[in-house]
Amino acid sequence: MSDNDIKKDGITETPAAAKASEEVGKSADTAKTSEKVEKNADTESPAVTVADESGITVPERFTVSPNPHMRTSDSTRSIMIDVCIALIPALLWGCFVFGLRSLTVVLLTIFCCVVFEALTQLILRRPVTIGDFSAVVTGMLLGLNLPASIPLWVPVIGAGFAIIIVKQLFGGIGMNIVNPALAARVFLFSWPDYMQTFTEPFHRLSLFENMSKSDAVASATPLVSLKSGNLPEVPLFDMLTGNQAGVIGEVSALLLIIGGIYLLIRRVITWHIPVAYIGTVALLSFIFPQAANAVDFMLCEILAGGLMLGAIFMATDYTTSPSTYTGRLIYGCGCGVLTILIRWFGGYTEGVSFAILIMNLFVWYLDKWTRPVRFGGREKTEKKA
Amino acid sequence: MAYTFKGGVHVEEHKNTCKIQTERMPAPPVVTIPMAQHIGKPATPVVKKGDTVLRGQLIGEVTGGALGCPVHSSVSGKVREFKEMLTPQGARVQCCVIENDGLDTLSPDIKPFGKKLSDSTFEEIVEIIRAAGISGMGGAGFPTYAKIQSAKGKVEHLIVNCAECEPYITCNHRLLLEDPAAVINGLKILLWALELRQGDIAVEDNKLDAVNKLEKLTADTPIVNVRVMKTKYPQGDERQLISALYGRDIPAGKLPADVGCVIFNADTCAAIYNAFANGMPLIERPVTVDGDCVRDPKNVIAPIGAPLSSLVEYCGGLKRKPVKIITGGPMMGQAQWDYETPVIKGTSALLVQSKRTAIDYGGQSACIHCGRCLQVCQMYLMPKYLAMFSQAGRIDMCEKYDALSCVECGSCTYICPGHVPITQYIRAAKFKINEQRAAERARIAREQAELAAKEAAAKEAEAKEAGADDAAAEKTAETSAADKTDKTDKTEGKEEK
Repeated sequence: MSDNDIKKDGITETPAAAKASEEVGKSADTAKTSEKVEKNADTESPAVTVADESGITVPERFTVSPNPHMRTSDSTRSIMIDVCIALIPALLWGCFVFGLRSLTVVLLTIFCCVVFEALTQLILRRPVTIGDFSAVVTGMLLGLNLPASIPLWVPVIGAGFAIIIVKQLFGGIGMNIVNPALAARVFLFSWPDYMQTFTEPFHRLSLFENMSKSDAVASATPLVSLKSGNLPEVPLFDMLTGNQAGVIGEVSALLLIIGGIYLLIRRVITWHIPVAYIGTVALLSFIFPQAANAVDFMLCEILAGGLMLGAIFMATDYTTSPSTYTGRLIYGCGCGVLTILIRWFGGYTEGVSFAILIMNLFVWYLDKWTRPVRFGGREKTEKKA
Repeated sequence: MAYTFKGGVHVEEHKNTCKIQTERMPAPPVVTIPMAQHIGKPATPVVKKGDTVLRGQLIGEVTGGALGCPVHSSVSGKVREFKEMLTPQGARVQCCVIENDGLDTLSPDIKPFGKKLSDSTFEEIVEIIRAAGISGMGGAGFPTYAKIQSAKGKVEHLIVNCAECEPYITCNHRLLLEDPAAVINGLKILLWALELRQGDIAVEDNKLDAVNKLEKLTADTPIVNVRVMKTKYPQGDERQLISALYGRDIPAGKLPADVGCVIFNADTCAAIYNAFANGMPLIERPVTVDGDCVRDPKNVIAPIGAPLSSLVEYCGGLKRKPVKIITGGPMMGQAQWDYETPVIKGTSALLVQSKRTAIDYGGQSACIHCGRCLQVCQMYLMPKYLAMFSQAGRIDMCEKYDALSCVECGSCTYICPGHVPITQYIRAAKFKINEQRAAERARIAREQAELAAKEAAAKEAEAKEAGADDAAAEKTAETSAADKTDKTDKTEGKEEK
């Protein structure tokens, strides 16, 4: 019996699964006997034979498949669309503050990501899966992590790096080791001039304007002053609402939190990573304040830079975060500690991207170390001891 | 506060039939009664081809005290033939095909036990239950008399399982509404037999009307407690039930009796009462007929052996083209390929799915590591990693990560947004682990036998040559030493493999 025979019956497609059902079939005590599958495979087409009284035709043999015979309505696609919806407020605010050029940057990044995904999959002869919207999410996150004044060829390179090298060459969705959008962002730091030039808020750039550095009306982000041990000039309220310099998507902490709450309500993410991450940053900056007022300093550390975007949307990326609750808490704390260390002692003013990328590498170990004890396993060890 | 457990998933309920009166369907023209409907020894036929049988008459008996249940005819008529057929569990067993004469003549053997419960002994009650052919009616179908025997003296808690956590199925719910007395009386019989003071009836909180009814009926009987459970799949699993009610976790590979509990299905309790009060063997059972292809979904009392098609016909026939038929609930039920598969003692539901609702395992699937399977797994396993290891052929890792603890409840596959058939991957891994273990056991047994034979031979040789001269004795010693070294090398090599 070949895998193809089974495919015809719609039992399962992946060869491994087909093999599995074949082998399970051999065991006498399970639901499917190999005979059953064989008989099914013998019929070339599920020929219609028996006619019901109502005129509805009944196939002579029905499809057999393993349990369960029900599935939730959630899919990879619906989850990815939820993430996009949660990012839209931040994107719209970015367009409002930095002008329509931000929209161009983000849309171009998304478009390139989707095209690169389709092309790579075609070349690698894999099924094209752009319908799952995962490339859209990658593109959106990468786009929101770029300054509005970036030359338009930069996002194209970034999208290519994210999708082709970080995602597809590692095996596609669910197989990448690090977050594609973040890896691409860090890769784009090869052009620090473009990546570190932040437009002053409400200096709106027009749709397709070609930017030179002086045009961008560069402004220092609050993180720069934090690094030098001073509280930034930007008032806290402006940092919360988004009247500050920065990349397109990170400026308004409030809208990012709203997006995060939407994701929590839709159960796309759990609270563990964002709370552990932001909590660790808050705690460390409160205990070791680098400026006069500890509370203000703590709030600035939380609201400035990419922490909200990173903690809510990037660190919670499924593939590159642990699956156990304990693992997620440790992962979040790790991200927080690394962020603070890089912000205070590193060469860059921002540490979120590097912190998350480093913690990405520990995901398997965190899952392994925090593996739950199986049901009834505890009792047994107690009895032994 | 409703009792509950950690993990699990709230599955869409689809309890469409919970407000519709149960109906008794007329017996179909032909019934096919399998001689083995559950674990244990198949029954040996006691009737021949051409014999006339009556409703409730014994047609198959288990001899020699082996584990197994007798089988009775569900109709009156003539035995047409004995043939091999697939049961809903996928086993190929001998089945008795009976042509129904439509008269429903009851067998004269059926008469009430006659004694009061307080006068009957444990052995008498067990024999009534065994002779009535009662096996667990929740799905697994373990012979009930054997369960009682093994629980006697060991258990302190008795639970009647009416959780009915599977979607669609409402036959227990309807039973509690329409004939709660049978369940309570069945429970009382069991309590008497097991010498227990109290029994719990566990009902999920989506059946509060049934809970109210039970509470009213049991208000003056302190020995029966109604426990309200939170609606969550798989609340009806014995492990979760015991864990939720008494906080006891059954260790891997152990049974409820090992933590002092025994669980019976509500239908089983009603059947026990029916056997005790009326002498009626288990020849019919309520079945929920539902699914988007069935015109009038409802609960029917179907004779054992009725083909699945006759149940659908009784429920108004089909309204859409069916693709999949499932016996049991949609989470743990088995897909059937034949429309004529008979109803057996463990068939609680029949679902007919069209293309709209039948899920297709052939589509694209990819794990996105969302971790939901870990959150819903009530055995606290890591389903996504087990599936990955199974896919990669790393059976050793599957074993290390407790694949054998998986109960195949299907929650992980249900919740998976990546549409990965996780349960099936784990099932395949379990099968391979068991295969390897069996091979390992066989190898050890074989080697021990070989070693024993060799040692015996060596001793014999020693004894023989004891009288011979020294040089010869030395030589023998050398050879046997060399032999032994060879042997150890071999064993080590094998172990490494």
